[in-house]
Amino acid sequence: MTELATMEFHPRPQAGEARPWAFPAPERGTLDNGLTVLRCHRPGQQVVAVEVLLDAPLDAEPAGLDGVATIMARAFSEGTDQHSAEDFAAELERAGATLDAHADHPGVRLSLEVPASRLAKGLGLLADALRAPAFAESEVERLVRNRLDEIPHEMANPSRRAAKELSRQLFPASSRMSRPRQGTEETVEGIDAGAVRAFYDRHVRPATSTAVVVGDLTGIDLDALLGETLGAWKGSPAEPHAVPPVTADDTGRVVIVDRPGAVQTQLLIGRIGPDRHDRVWAAQVLGTYCLGGTLTSRLDRVLREEKGYTYGVRSFGQVLRSAPDGSGAAMLAISGSVDTPNTGPALEDLFTVLRTLAGGGLTDAERDVAVQNLVGVAPLKYETAAAVAGTLADQVEQHLPDDYQAGLYRQLAGTGTVEATAAVVNAFPVDRLVTVLVGDAAQIKAPVEALGIGQVTVVTAE
Amino acid sequence: MPMGHTATAEAGSGGLTATEHRLSNGLRVVLSEDHLTPVAAVCLWYDVGSRHEVKGRTGLAHLFEHLMFQGSAQVQGNGHFELVQGAGGSLNGTTSFERTNYFETMPAHQLELALWLEADRMGSLLAALDDESMENQRDVVKNERRQRYDNVPYGTAFERLTALAYPEGHPYHHTPIGSMADLDAATLEDARAFFRTYYAPNNAVLSVVGDIDPVQTLAWIEKYFGSIASHDGKPAPRDGALPDVIGGQLREVVEEEVPARALMAAYRLPQDGTCACDAADLALTVLGGGESSRLYNRLVRRDRTAVAAGFGLLRLAGAPSLGWLDVKTSGDVEVPVVEAAIDEELARFAEEGPTAEEMERAQAQLEREWLDRLGTVAGRADELCRYAVLFGDPQLALTAVQRVLEVTPEEVRAIAEARLRPDNRAVLVYEPVAGGAQDADAQDADAAATDDTEEAAK
Repeated sequence: MTELATMEFHPRPQAGEARPWAFPAPERGTLDNGLTVLRCHRPGQQVVAVEVLLDAPLDAEPAGLDGVATIMARAFSEGTDQHSAEDFAAELERAGATLDAHADHPGVRLSLEVPASRLAKGLGLLADALRAPAFAESEVERLVRNRLDEIPHEMANPSRRAAKELSRQLFPASSRMSRPRQGTEETVEGIDAGAVRAFYDRHVRPATSTAVVVGDLTGIDLDALLGETLGAWKGSPAEPHAVPPVTADDTGRVVIVDRPGAVQTQLLIGRIGPDRHDRVWAAQVLGTYCLGGTLTSRLDRVLREEKGYTYGVRSFGQVLRSAPDGSGAAMLAISGSVDTPNTGPALEDLFTVLRTLAGGGLTDAERDVAVQNLVGVAPLKYETAAAVAGTLADQVEQHLPDDYQAGLYRQLAGTGTVEATAAVVNAFPVDRLVTVLVGDAAQIKAPVEALGIGQVTVVTAE
Repeated sequence: MPMGHTATAEAGSGGLTATEHRLSNGLRVVLSEDHLTPVAAVCLWYDVGSRHEVKGRTGLAHLFEHLMFQGSAQVQGNGHFELVQGAGGSLNGTTSFERTNYFETMPAHQLELALWLEADRMGSLLAALDDESMENQRDVVKNERRQRYDNVPYGTAFERLTALAYPEGHPYHHTPIGSMADLDAATLEDARAFFRTYYAPNNAVLSVVGDIDPVQTLAWIEKYFGSIASHDGKPAPRDGALPDVIGGQLREVVEEEVPARALMAAYRLPQDGTCACDAADLALTVLGGGESSRLYNRLVRRDRTAVAAGFGLLRLAGAPSLGWLDVKTSGDVEVPVVEAAIDEELARFAEEGPTAEEMERAQAQLEREWLDRLGTVAGRADELCRYAVLFGDPQLALTAVQRVLEVTPEEVRAIAEARLRPDNRAVLVYEPVAGGAQDADAQDADAAATDDTEEAAK
């Protein structure tokens, strides 16, 4: 074969006519027990997704018991008044279902996925877990020990270690956000069944909870089904938790978490900024995508595709916690890993990319491609019931209207280059970024100090 | 001329159908319509993976996969990524032991662009391939290796266990990521030769699934791919056949700075595409899938000797599959304690087999996994290619779940008795070395979550 192909070439084809697609609009209602329900029929999605949000935020954990929300979340699937822990797991799996639960700053989330044909069974188990969790002493004790065993695994993982250090650096020590979501060894050790039960009694009730049900609901009488299952969950009325303001110290500085012998440096560079309530959000999403949303964005164009320093560096905005009055915040960050010898040069290039962006702004072409991608991928991104349910639940959790996502796509399409530039430059100001590096301090400290991106301190992984 | 036939929908396929066609240059095409969402998935499997690599050039198939994103005759530089993403699509490629796949999911009205792009690189990659891309992607792949394997605890376990389970010289002895030395040694000429040998229409299957007009789609495929020449220079991969059982326990102890002791093992199992492989899948699910499995109940719930315990199945068509055991011990528990309990559970299972309830649970779990995989157009496109490339019949994808549901408890018991035994496994034990006790907190905000738009070595 010759080097030059012998195939017949054709000009690049043009797009056909776009077929309409809109982010699904859920139907909203309330059960007799006060539980808010959002439902959404998605034809063809045979695996139904159910998300339940509980207004049990991490800052409601009692002092010294960080992690109790996590242990409670896990304990939901460890037995009820109907089933032992082993039986409950067996019944779920018999229904072909999975049930995950986790605790985060805004509250506790349970995610059930179950084939539509077995939705009744799955919803029944979920309702039992919420309505009458066993919280047996021996099971909670096991979950606590299991959690303690997990901690060293997380500490040994460079990206998780970096995230933990960034939170500790950014937020005041008095803020729950400065501390690990799932607790520390000292706090987790103090958790027992009594503490879990007390947290549940105080913060878990249908009146402050929301369930989102998405999937192919053909032939399913969802009202009847919900009435028999989640409708049987009882609890007193209550006001939702107040959301404390989020503050952070983003004085430009560098913290190296020493990991002697590491062949790469994990980097996480961040600060906090506006959440989805802010008018700038759409422009910030757009600008952040242009900076580091994909391997053809500005950061990877240099760090990966020109220099080969990394497998990929990304910039992103991730909502930490939102409030109805718009006083919430998002984490704005850049993350990735670079090989140890090139850590200095890679960081230098990264900050040069930021400075160049601040100096010259985005181009119209960059903006156009970003909008086409962010808006165009929507039908792909929301093909599954789980994806739709996740976003609908996020909206509720963040105190946003049910049509927020649909509106965001319109806003993105209407956002110009100048706005996107301003938003991303404001999101990532070079002198207001906390840089966490998990790597071999002996090799990377001097080159990083030479960059002048802030005072460098070294933390030892004790 | 294209020709085709349509299979009727089978139980468990959710009413899905697929048609098959073949271009005169040998390119096999599979189409499946689904008009529920205005999206279309394009998936292209090349019948080449790390098993085709030769000594001294491990990692070449995966490195080459990266080069496929570096431009072709009519596509500049990173144009493949830019054009697909700019059209509102998503894309990637992955390399495994047995195949290399490339895929785009597009808004339906942008389908033709994805076909044009795939055809351009299939027919004309070498017009653009140069030293600059080679050197750059070599560095990127080496950093991929560091990030995913070398810089994380237990990161090289998969590589070590594979090397134990398949003997020296076996095509599956090494994993797709390859060694640093071999990545350094690969030359531009190696990449060119690799393309000339394996990247031909008659060594590939193209599937298109979603909101498509099959007649129009086939016409586009004929237009863009039809003139690419076929060629037959591909050498057969080295034979992957091995005896049914290893015949003795292989063992390696790794002393490394890891957070806890671990026991991992690979059991030699039947090849993919057989009823015995489906039976093994069910056996592993009963024993170690999810939180109601026998090993989880025994080690994590009752004995409380493990943090996590589970079994996975690596299905392989060209060599024995592997049953993958992964146990991280709790606290100060020693490996022999966990190992004895596992052997006891496996022996008991080989004797008594699964209960009716365990069968029901395992089958329900595997059925849901299939529904998940077939629930997206991209998942469906990938499975159609998989069955076409590995087993010669894409229709098998639509009936796979049915075959899992037909397996009997006795078949599950029998495969466990025959294969899940100490003399049929390679064992990897991790013993932590003193690196200093670590600070006791952690953060689960996975702020460094990896993006899904990078080429991946599976």
